[in-house]
Amino acid sequence: MVVLWFTDKFNLQIKIMKRLVFEGLIIILLFFGTWFALNQIDWIKIFKVQKVTDTTEQKLGELFWDFFKKSEDEISDKNVIEPVSEIVAYISKANKINRDKIKVHVLNNDNINAFALPGGHLIIYTGLISKCDNEGELSGVICHEIAHIELNHVMKKLITEIGLSVLISITTGSGGADVIKEAVKLLSSTAFDRSLEKEADIKAVDYLIEAKLNPEPFAAFLFKHSDNENEAANYWSWISTHPDSKERSEYILDYSKDKLTEFKLILTPKQWGSLKAASAVTE
Amino acid sequence: MIHRKHFSYTPGEHETEAASGSYLMSLIAIIVGLPLPIINLLATLIFYLGNKKSTYFVRWHCTQALLSQLTMLFINSYGFWWTISIMFTEESITGKYIAYMIAAIIFILTEFIATIYTAIQTRKGIHVEWWFYGSLTNLICKSKS
Repeated sequence: MVVLWFTDKFNLQIKIMKRLVFEGLIIILLFFGTWFALNQIDWIKIFKVQKVTDTTEQKLGELFWDFFKKSEDEISDKNVIEPVSEIVAYISKANKINRDKIKVHVLNNDNINAFALPGGHLIIYTGLISKCDNEGELSGVICHEIAHIELNHVMKKLITEIGLSVLISITTGSGGADVIKEAVKLLSSTAFDRSLEKEADIKAVDYLIEAKLNPEPFAAFLFKHSDNENEAANYWSWISTHPDSKERSEYILDYSKDKLTEFKLILTPKQWGSLKAASAVTE
Repeated sequence: MIHRKHFSYTPGEHETEAASGSYLMSLIAIIVGLPLPIINLLATLIFYLGNKKSTYFVRWHCTQALLSQLTMLFINSYGFWWTISIMFTEESITGKYIAYMIAAIIFILTEFIATIYTAIQTRKGIHVEWWFYGSLTNLICKSKS
């Protein structure tokens, strides 16, 4: 009689447990099913998320560029602007990049630096142009910066370092000049994450190959100036903010090894000569 | 999802008031705890501990209110940290994230409505058992007699 009572009680417990597991699973399935079903809808398009993100990036780019425009001297000499624009246009066309998206600005600064701002602004200092021995070196650096723009590294870095909420507050005018100054300093004088730098290097080589430009001068530029990594860090900004230049030049050569074919030059020797001379004069 | 059942005895006025209070407590916790999901659980847990030695009817409903918060805690926590990572890391807003947040809102709203309904019914002395949580409460909360 007692055994029968215990068996009944045990069976009842099993029945309750089974029901419980079944009901629990239904709840879990219901939640994940709802999530899965909702995931089939293109919310990004409905909420225009991309448009909002693009607008924020454009506004940030304009604000940051304004900062440079007020504090530095923009070069308008056509001997500088035209060849640089020609290089950018050639690379963009060969790689199906919207040329209008890249806004190139050459600034009169003896610092050896080039960097990308949000909204496709590409800043090149005359110091960097004058330290390039040939157009291949300059094209490599330009490709590297275009890669940062195209791979959205600029916004990624800003969001990681500053935060999306602060960036939005800058665009709405409540961010303050100090935040803009800090963000600009971050983009112009600090490196990206090591993996992002490598990604930009590899992409730059792809751009060069696609445009039939030799990637070797780009590797040579890094290798040649790698000795300057530890000295005069303020002067060699592009090198000091892009560490391990030797290692980078090695993997650039390694990556482009089997891809070498016949290469072209974008500028005529005369154009390159004028660009170098004009950049040196403005220094 | 919600069943009106006969309780083992007819609860008194003070019992229905306390039992209904446990749902009201979790209701307030849902509102306050939306940005910080742990508050939901803490508020209901405090109310549960306060009524631990109360009558069976009160204990039963406090337990059901507490258990129902657990699922919300997981859903809200995941959504909360996902939002934080979008705000402060390189993570971006994706369709998957928006779908999750809408699914979470649907579940929170359903629980919100169910909680209001249960609070009203228990105040009237009507015993209400929720799908899954009712069975779980039956397993955990036992009558002392």
